[in-house]
Amino acid sequence: MNEGGKIRVLLAKPGLDGHDRGVKVVALALRNAGMEVIYLGRHKTPKEIVEAAIQEDVNVIGLSNLSGSYKELFPKVARLLKKNGVENVRVIGGGIILDDDIAALEKLGMKIFPIGSRTDEIIEYIRKCVRDQGAS
Amino acid sequence: MEKKIVESKAYKEWEKSIKSNPLVYDQEGKVFKTESGIPMKALYTPDDLDDIGFDYEKEVGYPGYFPNTRGIDPSMYRGSMFRLKQYVGFGSPEETNRLYKYLIEQGQNAISIAYDLPTQSGYDSDDPRVEGEVGKIGVPICSLKDWEVITDGIDLEKILVNSVCNAQASVAMAWHIATAEKRGIKEKNLKGLVQNDILKEFIARGNYVFPPEPSMRLVVDMIVYAAKNVPNYVPMYICPYHIREAGSNAIQEIAFGLCNGIAYIEEAFKRGLNIDNIAPRITCLITGRHRDFLEEICKFRAIRRMWARLMKERFGAKDPRSYRLSMWDYEGGIGFTPDQHEINMARAAIAAMAGALGGVQDIGLCTLDEALGTPSEKALTLALRTAQIVAFETGVTHTIDPLAGSYFIEYLTHELETKANEYIKKVDELGGMVKAVEKGYPQREILKSAYDYQMAEEKGERVVIAGNKFVSEKREKIRGFYRPQPKMVQKHIRNLKQMREERENGKVKTALANLKKAAEKPAGNKNNLMPPIIEAVKAYATVGEIMGALREIFGEYQEVTGL
Repeated sequence: MNEGGKIRVLLAKPGLDGHDRGVKVVALALRNAGMEVIYLGRHKTPKEIVEAAIQEDVNVIGLSNLSGSYKELFPKVARLLKKNGVENVRVIGGGIILDDDIAALEKLGMKIFPIGSRTDEIIEYIRKCVRDQGAS
Repeated sequence: MEKKIVESKAYKEWEKSIKSNPLVYDQEGKVFKTESGIPMKALYTPDDLDDIGFDYEKEVGYPGYFPNTRGIDPSMYRGSMFRLKQYVGFGSPEETNRLYKYLIEQGQNAISIAYDLPTQSGYDSDDPRVEGEVGKIGVPICSLKDWEVITDGIDLEKILVNSVCNAQASVAMAWHIATAEKRGIKEKNLKGLVQNDILKEFIARGNYVFPPEPSMRLVVDMIVYAAKNVPNYVPMYICPYHIREAGSNAIQEIAFGLCNGIAYIEEAFKRGLNIDNIAPRITCLITGRHRDFLEEICKFRAIRRMWARLMKERFGAKDPRSYRLSMWDYEGGIGFTPDQHEINMARAAIAAMAGALGGVQDIGLCTLDEALGTPSEKALTLALRTAQIVAFETGVTHTIDPLAGSYFIEYLTHELETKANEYIKKVDELGGMVKAVEKGYPQREILKSAYDYQMAEEKGERVVIAGNKFVSEKREKIRGFYRPQPKMVQKHIRNLKQMREERENGKVKTALANLKKAAEKPAGNKNNLMPPIIEAVKAYATVGEIMGALREIFGEYQEVTGL
């Protein structure tokens, strides 16, 4: 968090998928909830996302993917964070994530918000994470 | 002057019975409004037609005749039923070819190729940058060879083939031309379509590659090439569809879709084409939703009338074919729920009804499971059957534009046209769509609507069965989705590498060099990029090589997010 106490969130779309309606609606919702949101945009690589997250000193990274490449790219983000020794950043993800894949992704420490998730759920989850991070 | 209905005793008596309940009376649309926010009164009467200055001959007229409100063809479905066109492709060219043949047997009469993202973004399947994307949401097509495989055994003269390609639409059109030529079909007889609406990629869909200026150049090169060489081919169709799926309302969908069309047409004028040599070759991809059923029907009528008027009044078109906007209507699945997903079939059926009542030329429907993955063969078949029931069992296709003359339908059609024109005026004031995109205007408008839409659902103001009402305790997992088998993708990549070795690489090198030379020169008819692209495609240059060459010259677009 910055001195102002605002929660900082980086949102991005890894891979080639262009559907950004969901991630932009989430960005607006988080902003309206008082968070500092950096939206990196489309067509980002896991490397670009992690580098930006470190540079921007965020609390949370949010990934959006609807093209099926989340299977390869979401875990890559988690691995790169670990490789860079980044510990206090929570990764959340959304888009079109098949039911059968959610458990494996959450085992890597990320939280998946599948289709039908609400923005207030996401806001509450992020606030809770940051509270827990602060407490540790 | 005739006494107004609303002044009659009978009307006043009816009005009295509901006026006491403001929630029911709701003339301002606080509770009852269309999806795009237009208030819906409890009752519409002949007075409402007077209020909009309704003139049958002027506003509605006859199908196939200006302004085509009732349809673009004099006999509509009595002469020829709407076509069934599902968007399909995954895994490998062989697999997709097999599926196309199956769907054609089931009654699909036009093919819409869903290419995978690497192909659409101009990367070969073995490019390390596209890890995880090959064959997932579409079929990988790396070269002419793959296109020949995917259309193998499919009569290109009987089955209309559409390529959903934009940034590399030029390559897709070249694949089509080259394959047809090999099968003895001359360019001047070739029928087909390629999407090629790059502006909507910038504001909604997100599969752009190059910046706006070279992107527009490619679009117009293809429009000019088609006008001169491939007159029966649709080199670009405007896509209100993606603008709506990105979150806009129906008014913005119509307006921004048309604004994109206006931008391409005005660019094509600079190349010396006249409107009647452009407009007859442009068609339209538009959403057809179950929600808002009546507004969707009015939307189709409104955009048809607006297109006709734009062509005639703004551009001076004289050929009646220029006034006709052929529409492919797609139920895009935004309102579909993963919970109790079988009910999505009901939604699709209602959406297909809207399309049929709205007089569209092609119908495609998202499948019941498409909310969660690339659909199964069974789901695709069910989608076809749904549209076939509308076509052959409901009887709505037996007479043309059956809802015309309804007080509400004519009022709403008029209202949508009026409101959409306000947006077109705004875009004109900004200097046209290309400038508007640079300023982020359509992006912001679409996001505003998308955000409001989400909030309305979360607050329960917009009811979604199995979304925010009657939701299952525990959502049943949906299985049976298509997943590309790794072996299939690996085989495809081996074929690609083999093709690269077996082709005449000298020819490829020369063709790519020629393409780069042409791309370096300024845009214009003397430097039309279609001929060098066709040359490269015929030499079996890959999509990655061709787009890579153009990337070197044109660079890549930096997104304006509107956030």
